[in-house]
Amino acid sequence: MNRKLLFLAVALVVGVTGSNLVYAQSKKPIINPPPTAKDWANLAKLPDWSGVWNPKITDQDKQAKTNMPPWIPAANEMIQFQLAEEKAGRPPPLFVNCLPEAMPSWMLITHNAMEILFTPGRVTMLGESDGNRLRRIYTDGRPHPEDPDPTFHGHSIGKWEGDTLVIDTIGILPQSLIAISEAAGVPNNGDMRVIERIHLVGKDELHDEIEVIAPKVLTKPWKTTRIFFRQRAQKYDIVEGVCLEGYFAPGKDKQGNDIFVPIQHDVGGNRIPPK
Amino acid sequence: MKFKTLIGLALSVLVATSSMQALAHHSTTMFDREKVYTITGSVQEVQWTNPHVAIFILGTIKEGDSPTLWLMEMTSPGNLVRAGGWTRNVVKAGDKVVVDFSPLRNGTKGGALKKITLVDTGKFYTADIRAQESANLEERDQK
Repeated sequence: MNRKLLFLAVALVVGVTGSNLVYAQSKKPIINPPPTAKDWANLAKLPDWSGVWNPKITDQDKQAKTNMPPWIPAANEMIQFQLAEEKAGRPPPLFVNCLPEAMPSWMLITHNAMEILFTPGRVTMLGESDGNRLRRIYTDGRPHPEDPDPTFHGHSIGKWEGDTLVIDTIGILPQSLIAISEAAGVPNNGDMRVIERIHLVGKDELHDEIEVIAPKVLTKPWKTTRIFFRQRAQKYDIVEGVCLEGYFAPGKDKQGNDIFVPIQHDVGGNRIPPK
Repeated sequence: MKFKTLIGLALSVLVATSSMQALAHHSTTMFDREKVYTITGSVQEVQWTNPHVAIFILGTIKEGDSPTLWLMEMTSPGNLVRAGGWTRNVVKAGDKVVVDFSPLRNGTKGGALKKITLVDTGKFYTADIRAQESANLEERDQK
């Protein structure tokens, strides 16, 4: 009996300890290790992407005509309608709600500048004129999460192939548009993947070679290259740009305090002109 | 009644009578780019705000007309600085100006500003977002 009791006790202890071990293994937090001096020093080996980068908008305009994505018929119908409306002076209001332009449209059709920051294990892209433009690209070797929460900019992992940053992005909200202009684009409808190869061409031009894989709206992957120019003069530094600020004009309340006064806009995003 | 107050009043009425719409990055084909009008008058108000700067001008397009209030839309402050050499204070309320602009197609008193010239100094500023398409713009500025 005593031996039986002892056996039971041992089995219980082993069992509990064992399950604790399993528990501990499955819940072991993955730590972002503090960067070492070597990690910081290694950043100096990366290409110099400092400065402010503004987009080549005329090339965006051109590609809207010369490099049409291979839309499925329903998406193409939507695009053709939008193009006709725009041509008629009634541009469809695609990006007028102050939500982020999101991926991949930020890279495709932005009219605004961006800057790119390197820190150990990560590349960060920050955009002007929209408080919500921010991409975090993890270069620390991590994989994508198994089932990431969809976000406007998705989950991005990157690796350096020489002086080219190769980025893989998944987990983008299905509502995010694949846009060819500010007035023509369709929601990706889910399962989209964006692969980018970003590198310098010459001293002060940055190319983003983009491949959009969007099986719900494209018949095959679509490739395009978007071009950005470097500015180094301090007068061109990125400035704050809160999109919602456009809802308001500076005004005064009855006590003379400075306040924001709501103002009216039309559906196209313009202030209403005087009658 | 001051015109700023008039503008405020007009805007309040609009806010009261219509539903709110947001704005952000939009196409500009509501402006008729094939037409360029010139208005001569005075600046009533400058709204140096993101994502689009606006200037209200009280002026005339044809000589002899009575002055009316027009709204000129532009790109963002950051782009105006880079593309057109602007700063927040280069155009102020009260300035006498000549403005070239593309009018709204719907006939209301609004337009996309192309160029504004200060009558007193002859200085001018442009608002072409596509005028910043080269690297190191400061080198161009110095020429």
